[in-house]
Amino acid sequence: MHDGRFDPSGFYEFNLTDGLVRTRTGDRVVILSEDVLSALVAAAARDGDLTPLRRLGELLGEQVLAGLDRPSSVLSPEAVLGHASAVTSLFGWGRLTFERWGPALVIALRDKPELDEDDLGAAALLGGMFSEISQRQVSCVPTGDSKFVMVDFEVAETVWGWFKDGADLPAIVGMLEAKRAS
Amino acid sequence: MSNREDRLRSLLDKVRAKRPEERATRAADALDRIRTASGTTSAAAVHSSSPPAVQASTSSRPAAQPTPFPSTFPTQLPGSPLPEPPTSPTMDSPTRYSSQPPRVERPLSVEPRARSIRPSSVAPTAPSQSRRPEAIRPQSVAPTGQPVVYATEQPEFPRAKTFGELLELTLSLRPR
Repeated sequence: MHDGRFDPSGFYEFNLTDGLVRTRTGDRVVILSEDVLSALVAAAARDGDLTPLRRLGELLGEQVLAGLDRPSSVLSPEAVLGHASAVTSLFGWGRLTFERWGPALVIALRDKPELDEDDLGAAALLGGMFSEISQRQVSCVPTGDSKFVMVDFEVAETVWGWFKDGADLPAIVGMLEAKRAS
Repeated sequence: MSNREDRLRSLLDKVRAKRPEERATRAADALDRIRTASGTTSAAAVHSSSPPAVQASTSSRPAAQPTPFPSTFPTQLPGSPLPEPPTSPTMDSPTRYSSQPPRVERPLSVEPRARSIRPSSVAPTAPSQSRRPEAIRPQSVAPTGQPVVYATEQPEFPRAKTFGELLELTLSLRPR
């Protein structure tokens, strides 16, 4: 870990006597089947409350931060990606990669569990995860093809509306422009 | 000769009375020749100032006066070409451009480095000529070499962004 690379060894601690599974940071986790999880997430998406999944994402983010020796803001994207993708893989959430579409940072999550039709569950998970990693409130909006554009939470609803209206990722990025925060 | 002149004059008057347009010039020429031969031209030459070209052509004038003053034209002709050559703009431009072009053109077309080397070797010869001090001016322009130094350092500018910079950029996105 000191060389900046994620070390997956000893990440989980299995306590067979007490029936516990903990991460190396001490958090207790529960292993669920994809079918069960997807049903729960679909129900949460219908109710419009994905807070639990966002909280789960924050827990993943804490795991990522625990493996970083410096704040994520000063690290290279590759270093942060290495840790984040390792954690998502260890939790069985798929293969995570970064993409840059102009000024937009896009997260691709391949082979993720099929939770809900609109990928809102995965979006909530990633939003919570990267909010914890960056220590800022960010939103990851689904843009199709298992990709999520990372934007400020104030813009998320607008971008989501564009996607629901049929805009693909290039079109969405084209409708955005960088503006300096006042 | 005066009798002959009188006869000719009377003959001229007759001719003028009959066909003044055609005969006038011939008679006048003959009369003029007689005058010059007898030396009595002073009175007749006073009021003849029209050029000979006019006289030789259609000559609608009666008694077209002889043109004993061709010298008046040559004195005016040299006067007219003189105003043309001066062309004051060409006189003014050397004084203006001789000092400024070295400053403006050289930094643009010539590498500043080559320019910065030359003044040191050229400087001693420059004072020998009257306008040379302006050729030394590139020394003052030499600092334009600094942008070249910056240009060599610029490759560091597009360095890889940190995750924080990428995050800042994507979070600054707003609808157009």
